[in-house]
Amino acid sequence: MKAVCWMGTGKVETLTVEDPQLFNPRDAIIKITRTAICGSDLHLYDGFIPTMEQGDVLGHEFMGIVEETGPGVKNLKRGDRVVVPFTIACGSCFFCKSKFWSACDNSNPNAHLMEAAYGHAGSGLFGFSHMNGGYAGGQAQYVRVPFADVGPLKIESDLPDEKVLFLSDIFPTGYMAAENAQIKEGDTVAVWGCGPVGQFAIASAFMLGAARVIAIDRVPERLAQARGIGAVTIDFEEDEVSVLTALNDLTGGMGPDCCIDAVGLEAHSSDLQGVYDKVKTALFMETDRSSVLRQAIMAVRKGGTLSIPGVYGGLLDKVPFGAAFGKGITMKMGQTNMHNYMKPLLDRIEKGQIDPSTIISHRITLDQAPEMYKVWRDKKEDVTKIVIDPWA
Amino acid sequence: MSNALTLTEKPGSEPLPSSAGASSLINGHYAPVAKDSDGYTWARSSVTILASAEELYAIWRDIERIPQWQDEIVSVKQTSPKTSHWVMQHGDKAIEWDAETLADEPASRIAWHSTGGDVDQSGEVIFETATSKRGTMVTLLMRFKLGSLERALAIITGRDPKQAVVENLRHFKAFAETGEIPRAQAAPHGDRGLVGGMKRSMYGENIPTPPSK
Repeated sequence: MKAVCWMGTGKVETLTVEDPQLFNPRDAIIKITRTAICGSDLHLYDGFIPTMEQGDVLGHEFMGIVEETGPGVKNLKRGDRVVVPFTIACGSCFFCKSKFWSACDNSNPNAHLMEAAYGHAGSGLFGFSHMNGGYAGGQAQYVRVPFADVGPLKIESDLPDEKVLFLSDIFPTGYMAAENAQIKEGDTVAVWGCGPVGQFAIASAFMLGAARVIAIDRVPERLAQARGIGAVTIDFEEDEVSVLTALNDLTGGMGPDCCIDAVGLEAHSSDLQGVYDKVKTALFMETDRSSVLRQAIMAVRKGGTLSIPGVYGGLLDKVPFGAAFGKGITMKMGQTNMHNYMKPLLDRIEKGQIDPSTIISHRITLDQAPEMYKVWRDKKEDVTKIVIDPWA
Repeated sequence: MSNALTLTEKPGSEPLPSSAGASSLINGHYAPVAKDSDGYTWARSSVTILASAEELYAIWRDIERIPQWQDEIVSVKQTSPKTSHWVMQHGDKAIEWDAETLADEPASRIAWHSTGGDVDQSGEVIFETATSKRGTMVTLLMRFKLGSLERALAIITGRDPKQAVVENLRHFKAFAETGEIPRAQAAPHGDRGLVGGMKRSMYGENIPTPPSK
């Protein structure tokens, strides 16, 4: 089959690789009908996530048709149409039973690598480094899905793939970000990063009762999308704009009740700290560029909540923890507990409350993926979301 | 202690487990695993499994099924009520030994040692009810002597023998909770190059995931 492979930092190739096979009783093989490139794939592309290795198949946002099932999968059959969550969960450990699916104890074959780095291991993820399991991803024609009796969500309506594909990651991730922000009706919510997760976080913040949403980015198309949902926007690269001053100006000096960092470890900053982080990460003195996290801690109102769907991978420098303590803020974060949100969000799509497909700007083939990774990283061609048809 | 705080309200407190050999707790105080000495390596690991001590004891006690969850074990044969014969496939080399059960307390504790063959090891596993209905805390303690061959193989295959104890218990948990052990080692991939191949070995991904047959 054809698959998009990570071949080193900044190097992605579409190669012919072996077809996946069933190994465990609860596996399924899915023939992929649509897949996408995620913002977090850029963290892999740019070499920020340790334990990516040459030859790894990328991709964790995908859906398709069940091709084959192991003897332990009773709820799916050949021909079923499914969206697959990017976090792999067994459904039977303490964490799955507690609805903390992204912390599943039994889905990461390389748990020892993550234990060494983080103290405890998270669940396996598709196409997201060996520390996260070493599973082949879904920017390919076929994929092996472990614990297929637990994760995949059956789509029984005739909604087109593009409307439900983002249930595989970014819609639930944006929704959990809003849920983690502990929004109360009437709150003002600030969202850093207006990429796909940011857009879904803005939409979800409104769904959960936000009175006002303030969106921060520097890419004009993204800011326009945010205004399209009803957010007010701040371009942090415009002359004379200070995000902290702007947020105080827009909240009567209080600061936003809830802040969402939908950027993560590769934040860009226009001031001196941007240079500082670039130098320190280049010298391996810190691993993550955390300018958004710093700013969000400074911006949030006293006693407010900071929600972090943006990915962080390692060590951060100059994080104003004194400000976090001094203002008594709450921080909530982590990989998305996908399985909690897929069904309820599908219901919202089926009811016509939201159409996730409108954010798509590019529809491409697997062979075009290497070139489009570069376009996506550099935010060229007015790109907002790239979807791949693996059979085109 | 005469000068300890007096506290009568402990609404969530549960009794401490009784101490067994492998236990991390002796009279209410944490005890680290023994230091390596006299050529013996010690390793201890602990997991919480969402199942009863009775169920977990039964899975462990069913020794002929051990190849389904223990790394590199290809066969275990019961040779008498208290003895068994073990075969391990380690790279290209088959390693065999006999083992004898020293203690067998249903739903509580199993202890054993090797009595001859290619390995010198002893071990104990204890099953204790976890707090808050979280299932059972399983603690595995092992002591073993490594020959120079095993040390060399450990370097090549990327699995420290102490880590193998951790992985065996992790696999026991996965097997008990889900009926299978997660594996990604045969995932489709592009050309790994020299470094990619070496790193996979370093990650331990070249060790076959049980069941090995």
